[in-house]
Amino acid sequence: MRLRGSGEQEGRDYDLGAVTSDSGDAGVDQGATLRALTEAAIRSEWDLLDSLRGDAFTTLGEQQTVDALTVAAAFNGITRVADSTGIPLDDAMAEATTSIRAATGIDQYSYAEKSARYDL
Amino acid sequence: MVQMASMRFTLGLMYTPELPLRTNLTEAHEASWQAIGEPGAFWTGPERVQMVAHARAATNCKLCEQRKAALSPFAVPGEHDEISRESELPPALIDAIHRIRSDPGRLTRSVFAQVIAAGVSEAAYVEMVSVINSSVIIDTLHRSLGLSLPELPEAREGEVSGDYNTEAVDRGAWVPVLDADQDLFEPGMPRVPNILRSMGLVPSAVQLFFQTFRPHYALANIPLSISQAQAEFVAARVSALNECFY
Repeated sequence: MRLRGSGEQEGRDYDLGAVTSDSGDAGVDQGATLRALTEAAIRSEWDLLDSLRGDAFTTLGEQQTVDALTVAAAFNGITRVADSTGIPLDDAMAEATTSIRAATGIDQYSYAEKSARYDL
Repeated sequence: MVQMASMRFTLGLMYTPELPLRTNLTEAHEASWQAIGEPGAFWTGPERVQMVAHARAATNCKLCEQRKAALSPFAVPGEHDEISRESELPPALIDAIHRIRSDPGRLTRSVFAQVIAAGVSEAAYVEMVSVINSSVIIDTLHRSLGLSLPELPEAREGEVSGDYNTEAVDRGAWVPVLDADQDLFEPGMPRVPNILRSMGLVPSAVQLFFQTFRPHYALANIPLSISQAQAEFVAARVSALNECFY
């Protein structure tokens, strides 16, 4: 998870558990606003997002709001690339994130777990 | 400046100039949109545009909605909503497109296997993945900014190239991927991570998708007004919402 890398570079300890939980800003500046914008965009809650975007122009800034949504849009595509091609974690990444994946519940998104849960 | 701005708008390009979007992003999206309508390696221009139309149909598809509500997305049979134009794509491919667009977190290898069993090559599948997910980025940004979706790309006639990477390798993905060194960019992060290699079987698919994606994000020194950590938080939250393991 790249958020951990950013924290290490900045000397900050972000709460990675917030990424997979239903609430929390992870300790990131303006994290609550970023979270709300992201969730509305990915859940296709467009009316809500219209409202949130207007508020965020004031609290976060217009350029920052657009840039946050720019990142969200990109990852809405690239996550589908990963999940459509069954790409595995890189060896080095898998090794470096073992404990994080277990602690945050990301392991339940593995292809093997999904096949066991959903295939008939 | 005003004249240039209104010219861009009346030419029918994708974004209005009032939006604080970077020129490299808007130009990349316009180029990608045009490229989607052109013949690819394995699919014609009309077929690639049909893929985008099916992906859009999935966002309001009754069957996709029922599947998303079911314990298993494979427990609900039925027909997907049709698109307003003629479609010549194999039904198994259309089903995969709907699943990728509407419920990516519950994709399994069986979806890919169903497409291959229908006679679609791995390389043709990879090209579809690139086309669909390039359009997902562009459509998501439009909707997120309160814009109407752009009209479907203009489909251009022409022959497919048939070009693919004969040196793609098996690295445990569902499809062969780009062969690349595994030297590290930083601890835990290869210089060429698997996601960059994932569509390496079809070079034009890599080009299309990452042309669309690259102006949105960087692994370091992100050229946006938000910090790297803020961008990573957004990215990670999207990954969680889409239940993406990678």
